[in-house]
Amino acid sequence: MMLSRIADSLFWIGRYMERADNTARILDVNYHMLLEQPPDTYKLRWDPLIAVTGERARFYKTHEEASAQTAFEFLGFSEENPNSISQCIVQARENARTIRDRISRELWEDINGLYHKILRLKDEGEDLSRFCDAVKRGGHRFHGVCDATLARDEGWHFVQAGCVLERAEMTARILDVHYHQLLEGPQLLSEARSHLWMAVLKSVAAYEFYKRQNTLIEPTRVAQLLLLDPRHPRSVRFNLGILQTSLHAISGSMPGTYANEAERLTGKIHERLTYDSIEEIFADGLHNYLTELQEMCRNIGEEITRTYLNYAVAQG
Amino acid sequence: MSSAANPIPAQFPPNKLLFDGYDPGAFYDEMIAPNGEPRPYAAPMYEKLANMPLEVFEERRKLADLSYLVQGITFTVYSDGKGTERLFPFDLVPRIIPRSEWDVVERGLAQRVTALNLYLRDIYGPQRILKDRIIPQHLVYSCKHFRREMVGLQVPRDIYVHVAGIDLVRDSRTGQYLVLEDNARSPSGISYVLENRIVMRRTFPRAFELSEVQSVDHYPAELVKILRSLSPRSGDRPVIVLLTPGLYNSAYFEHCFLAQEMGIELVEGRDLVVVDNVVYMKTIYGLTRVDVIYRRVDDDFLDPLAFRAGSLVGVPGLMNAYRAGNIALANAVGTGVADDKAIYAYVPAFIRYYMGEDPILQNVETYLCSNPDQLSYVLEHLPELVVKAVGESGGYGMLMGPSSDKKTIEEFRERLIADPRNYIAQPVIPISRVPSYDPAIGGMSARHVDLRPYCLYDGEKVTIVPGGLTRVALQKGSLVVNSSQGGGSKDTWVLRGEE
Repeated sequence: MMLSRIADSLFWIGRYMERADNTARILDVNYHMLLEQPPDTYKLRWDPLIAVTGERARFYKTHEEASAQTAFEFLGFSEENPNSISQCIVQARENARTIRDRISRELWEDINGLYHKILRLKDEGEDLSRFCDAVKRGGHRFHGVCDATLARDEGWHFVQAGCVLERAEMTARILDVHYHQLLEGPQLLSEARSHLWMAVLKSVAAYEFYKRQNTLIEPTRVAQLLLLDPRHPRSVRFNLGILQTSLHAISGSMPGTYANEAERLTGKIHERLTYDSIEEIFADGLHNYLTELQEMCRNIGEEITRTYLNYAVAQG
Repeated sequence: MSSAANPIPAQFPPNKLLFDGYDPGAFYDEMIAPNGEPRPYAAPMYEKLANMPLEVFEERRKLADLSYLVQGITFTVYSDGKGTERLFPFDLVPRIIPRSEWDVVERGLAQRVTALNLYLRDIYGPQRILKDRIIPQHLVYSCKHFRREMVGLQVPRDIYVHVAGIDLVRDSRTGQYLVLEDNARSPSGISYVLENRIVMRRTFPRAFELSEVQSVDHYPAELVKILRSLSPRSGDRPVIVLLTPGLYNSAYFEHCFLAQEMGIELVEGRDLVVVDNVVYMKTIYGLTRVDVIYRRVDDDFLDPLAFRAGSLVGVPGLMNAYRAGNIALANAVGTGVADDKAIYAYVPAFIRYYMGEDPILQNVETYLCSNPDQLSYVLEHLPELVVKAVGESGGYGMLMGPSSDKKTIEEFRERLIADPRNYIAQPVIPISRVPSYDPAIGGMSARHVDLRPYCLYDGEKVTIVPGGLTRVALQKGSLVVNSSQGGGSKDTWVLRGEE
């Protein structure tokens, strides 16, 4: 038996930890890539980064221009940005603190430790690279501690659901924003283009895996890996597959059937990712495909909430 | 985590020992006898500390602090509408109580808690004590925490106070324990007792063996046994929950800790819903019926339909379910009419009246400002007295006469005259002290302490885990031990053997 509120906290611990981790990855990779770029491409590359996090409007309310410094401050530890890395970790930790009696002591101490560490790095004015490194390590440790210490009950599946849903949406969004930028932004040299795609791959830890299968950096192959690959833990298909498994574990419904709207939507989208080819997707327009994917992820999140986390009770 | 000892500040001489220059002073010292020797039962621990190099002690102290920080054992202090998390300072020198002394305390507490329950059952029932004029009727009815709704309501197994925290102090003049106040609503602090013990066992394992300390770990098991017995439904698996106001409550850590230790669900008001006078909790698979609520939410906020309307932490309709006998609450609603600080003065009379016994533990002399003669005495002697608001706890609404400036005293004078029923006054008790580490001098200083044992009542007998929470006023000379006022805590050892 699990309280809806507890399930909600577990789900959001997963989401916030994953969000912090993804934000650190894109920030870090972008920063390193730009160290070797000519200065005129420099400016162009920080704006899409803000866009990836969906906080563009908020950013330009208080900042004139996206630069390494302002992006780091805004995405790294701004208190005004609810999706900044440090705010995500604050939120994850608040959720963990609320339900600390329901998670392993190791998990609580790990999240609490990360929180204290991030606050310290922030106070010490640590540079971008080390800050992001600490967050990524924290993310890896979080998954490790979950894996090694959480019982495989509904709680585990809610943490999983939160992580994979967030990761699927984030990967789709990273792809979307960068693709858009490359297509419609000022023309870049082909060398620079391939640098940017490499950065995208690196930001989702898929560069090595990609290179094992492809010699050249080609947009379709990059998109194929990030969207459709069933083996890479950051591809959208991979994550929606796990989401499907976890949702079935929670409801007890059989594979191939569905017990609620969240399961139906997840099954439907996973099916498409399994059988759509990358050529078909490009023919119909990648941007539209990715937009739809992101919307589906949002709907799935809402349906999970409506079904399990916050439902109406008829008062007699 | 680094285990390297931090260098000792240069101002301390290299071979300084912790008890160098220690002065037990004019107060009763719980560890050192007046002749300067350790009390026999405290000697093993004293020897251990007295021979420990300062850097070793410092290292252990840092490890202990770190373990509280890592575990997030903090409480929240509110100022400017912003909550700040603080560690509750922990002092590594235990307060040690010999068995023979504890036996008396234990009997005295059992007697007192039994009397408080008999009084509550009477007040919300036949009210014999009012008819026999043992306590003035107006004093009871004017209690802030008297609940008219409880009159005539049958509570499960006639238990009102399932958990009581009775604050004791030792009077240096007589060496006797006195009751300072009763906490019969939802006393907090037991989690510190249990965690302090875990940390101390890890820090001084050998000293535990030598001293033969009685265990405290069975508290959650004892409490859940009582909660289980209250279930209104038959069946051996009642659903028990702990109701907390939530994360921002200063005792939230404790609520989590206890729920986990007892294996019960920790719920907030929004997790519960009352349908047809039955309480349910909202789970991912729908509604599950609840039988017993160990509530850590005050009466006022428990049910917005019955009490304070704006409460967001409560459960609408809970009182109706309680009245219908579908849910058990621990502690019962309305127990504040027993721990009001003016009612406190009558507890010895309750013991005589209901039990026909003499009180084993004495009260501190108390002046009721509602009585005009006593009020005029209090007003004449304000600079010498402690004044307390009757319905408050946690050191709020309090005047320490001897350490207050003229302005504060005059402010209290006006308050007393305006609302005398709301205040009592007591003489300042020279309470006992325990050696406590003072980082500023790199050694031990004597600091004042109180003691809050936790008493569990199952309707027949009172169970008390040996010891309780020793709170220590870490500021030099201070007599106020509350955590909100710069207090800390110590582990409390009740020894197994004879003296």
